[in-house]
Amino acid sequence: MDISFNIGGMAGQGIDTIGDMLTQVFVRTGFYTFTVKDFESRIRGGYNFTQVRVSDVPVHAPVDHMDVIVALTHDAVVGPRPRLVDGGVIIFDDTIAFDDLEPCHFPAPLSRTAKEVGGSVRMTNAAALGALLSVVRFPVDLAEEVLGHVFARKGEEVVEKNVLVAKRMYEVTQERFSGECRHDLSTVRCGPSTDRLVLTGNQALALGAIAANVKWVSAYPMSPSTSAFQEVVARAHEFRIGTLQTEDEIAALCMAIGASYAGARTMVTTSGGGFSLMVEALGLAGMTETPVVIYNAQRPGPSTGLPTRTEQSDLLFSVFASQGEFPRVVLAPRSIRDAFDTAVRAFNLADRFQVPVVILGDQFLADSSMALPLIDVSTVRVDRGVLAGDDDTPYLRYRLTDDGVSPRAFPGEPGRVVVASGNTHLEDGHITEDPAIRDAMAEKFLKKVPAIRDALRPPELYGSEDADMVLVSWGSTWGAVREAVDLLRAGGQSVCQLHFTDLYPLRTALLREVLSGASVSVSIEQNATSQFAALVSMETGLMCDHHLNKYDGRPMTARWVVDRLQGAGIA
Amino acid sequence: MITQSDLSPPQPVTWCKGCGNFGILAALRKALVGMDTPQHKYVLVSGIGCSGKVPHYINLNSFHTLHGRPIPVATGIKMARPDLKVIVHTGDGDCLGEGLGHFVHAARRNVDIAVFIHNNGVNGLTKGQFSPTAPRGYVSGTSPPPPGAPMEPVNPVALALISGATYVARGFAGHQASLVRLMQDAITHRGFAVVDILQPCVTWNRVLTWSFYNGHIFDIGEDGHDPSDHSAALRLATAGGDRIPVGLFYRSDAPTLADGLSLPESGALADHVNDLGLLQQVLRDMQLE
Repeated sequence: MDISFNIGGMAGQGIDTIGDMLTQVFVRTGFYTFTVKDFESRIRGGYNFTQVRVSDVPVHAPVDHMDVIVALTHDAVVGPRPRLVDGGVIIFDDTIAFDDLEPCHFPAPLSRTAKEVGGSVRMTNAAALGALLSVVRFPVDLAEEVLGHVFARKGEEVVEKNVLVAKRMYEVTQERFSGECRHDLSTVRCGPSTDRLVLTGNQALALGAIAANVKWVSAYPMSPSTSAFQEVVARAHEFRIGTLQTEDEIAALCMAIGASYAGARTMVTTSGGGFSLMVEALGLAGMTETPVVIYNAQRPGPSTGLPTRTEQSDLLFSVFASQGEFPRVVLAPRSIRDAFDTAVRAFNLADRFQVPVVILGDQFLADSSMALPLIDVSTVRVDRGVLAGDDDTPYLRYRLTDDGVSPRAFPGEPGRVVVASGNTHLEDGHITEDPAIRDAMAEKFLKKVPAIRDALRPPELYGSEDADMVLVSWGSTWGAVREAVDLLRAGGQSVCQLHFTDLYPLRTALLREVLSGASVSVSIEQNATSQFAALVSMETGLMCDHHLNKYDGRPMTARWVVDRLQGAGIA
Repeated sequence: MITQSDLSPPQPVTWCKGCGNFGILAALRKALVGMDTPQHKYVLVSGIGCSGKVPHYINLNSFHTLHGRPIPVATGIKMARPDLKVIVHTGDGDCLGEGLGHFVHAARRNVDIAVFIHNNGVNGLTKGQFSPTAPRGYVSGTSPPPPGAPMEPVNPVALALISGATYVARGFAGHQASLVRLMQDAITHRGFAVVDILQPCVTWNRVLTWSFYNGHIFDIGEDGHDPSDHSAALRLATAGGDRIPVGLFYRSDAPTLADGLSLPESGALADHVNDLGLLQQVLRDMQLE
């Protein structure tokens, strides 16, 4: 079972609501789902869709094709037609004027049923849900068990009416839909999944930050990062977290640096344009060795680019941003669940090595959702790194040590003065232009790097390292590339995936081994210039043989990877 | 509580002989010595320029930040540790050029910090270019010739007043006694306190000199100004003319930024720990049944 539902229409029409309800039905009945949102940068109108992929095995990426479409506008009936599979269905409200009917089209009395049975056209969403479930012959008793929960937020009487609308539309569809849907779920029972925690990537990241004891988050709203900030703000009161929407991203990062100097764990959330404004302060965090976590939910650039779309094109920018040289960490979560863990790791790495840590998400990861097993927060460990002891007097904020890490102290303790400076400084934090100290402080930075590299996660090898072909990927495309490997192997190809979440400083041992062993290597990235392959080349001198680049702003799929490989004669 | 020797400069001072900054630093030391807050409870935050070097000439917790950015860094420090007294030393180029936006927003947030603007009308450390407070027509290496700086100066007192600062004063580096008093009041004031401190740049500024200030300033307190009268304060700040008003323009009580955030009810944000049991419950509650 692997079905792709697509709910399309204008912004503001309830696309998300139908998608969420559909997700809930399948999650509550034990199926795996993966939901992506595709929307334009506008508040109302346009053509947007939510795609819910449902499977009886875990899925981590969207698909290009559509099995069942609910179209709320004429455009949504016509536009996605080429992507509908044979045996697919397009359900649309029969008030939409559309005459070119094919067998796949089902003009359904959605709004009429909502009005007649529920008393309000606002229950058209419930009618759409009923039609969707009916078209795939989802067992009505299974649906009945969960529909009450699905509508539960709306209050007792409305719940009942919504259930009635959905059920009536389910029956009407049974009676009137004369087409053929290639999916028939009439014999399915509850699925195998017990995962019930539905999170988006941004939610998972924000909750991970809370688990890691973030105490201050400052941000300026910017798609697609904003919902991560909103998730923290929504919980700020119960957890007592300082949050502030600032005048700009410069202030956001400067405040986070100030609060971190004073002892709080801090984070900023932004996208590439905001990160551009933060670059000067990134250098301040680097020079003053002030830990801070910067979450950059990437979108296609440069400049405003595509505000609501996805890309992985800020990698080299993140690695090189700021004048001068200093150690930093760049991480990119591979999945929604991993966004939670990445946040925790980012704070620990930042504190342990007293460096800024950049987390590279992207719109795809930020806005996608899936059900996860309950996250057990008792396993979360907070590592604040080396702190100065009482006997550490006179206190020197930048004491030169063997590993480059100086014990940290915070202002406000009697008998101790904590001095930080963005100028080149002495061990005590006061400024200097002494060439020998300049050397010592630059070398202090360099000393941290090997230990940082060792603390990072090595790449994940999926499949055998003896495979003929290796696909090199990073960040959120993990699921799509992994699925592509499955498809290719099912077709008899010898292929593996080497996937990186921890990008800089780059761990190279397994990379060297796998790249030199494979007869063909292919970098697969969601950018136009193969930035990760360039980083690999810079760090190891190794080159990938081929590069697949997707830069249209839409999420990657396994089919895209396979088609491109085959089209180029590589696979 | 603090003695002069506690504050002894960690480094030799590098300002030019006769610089107005000496008067400001001397006043700061006297202000702190005369107050009852212990030394470890202060944090001094500076930007870039001659004023930015203050942290290296007085023995306090400090953060020497970026050009224009001391106010947001200070805001972060204050939110994390509300028990600390956070003092910003900034210049006219720093605060009113690069950092002008931060100044306005911090004022309207009424962040509980004191901001001392070293205002000399030039960007001194970069060798005397016209600053945001240079008068129209000021001639410098970067003012278009003729007729010099082709724009009006920023008026920091008026800007602070209309932006929502709850303590607004102007001092003069040459009037120690009143500057010390204004600094102490600004530090103890609960809210965003600004002292615009006039100081000559003896090396670059041939217009705003010691004798110019001595000949033009007058104390508004002696003229009977009522610092609770916002309109009167604004009229004084924008009056123009030959005479330059100094003293306390305005003081009021208003909620501070910290009052509006979900900070811990007791203790500092920096010491607070997120309740993992609560987070586990939140995650449980988010699960679909």
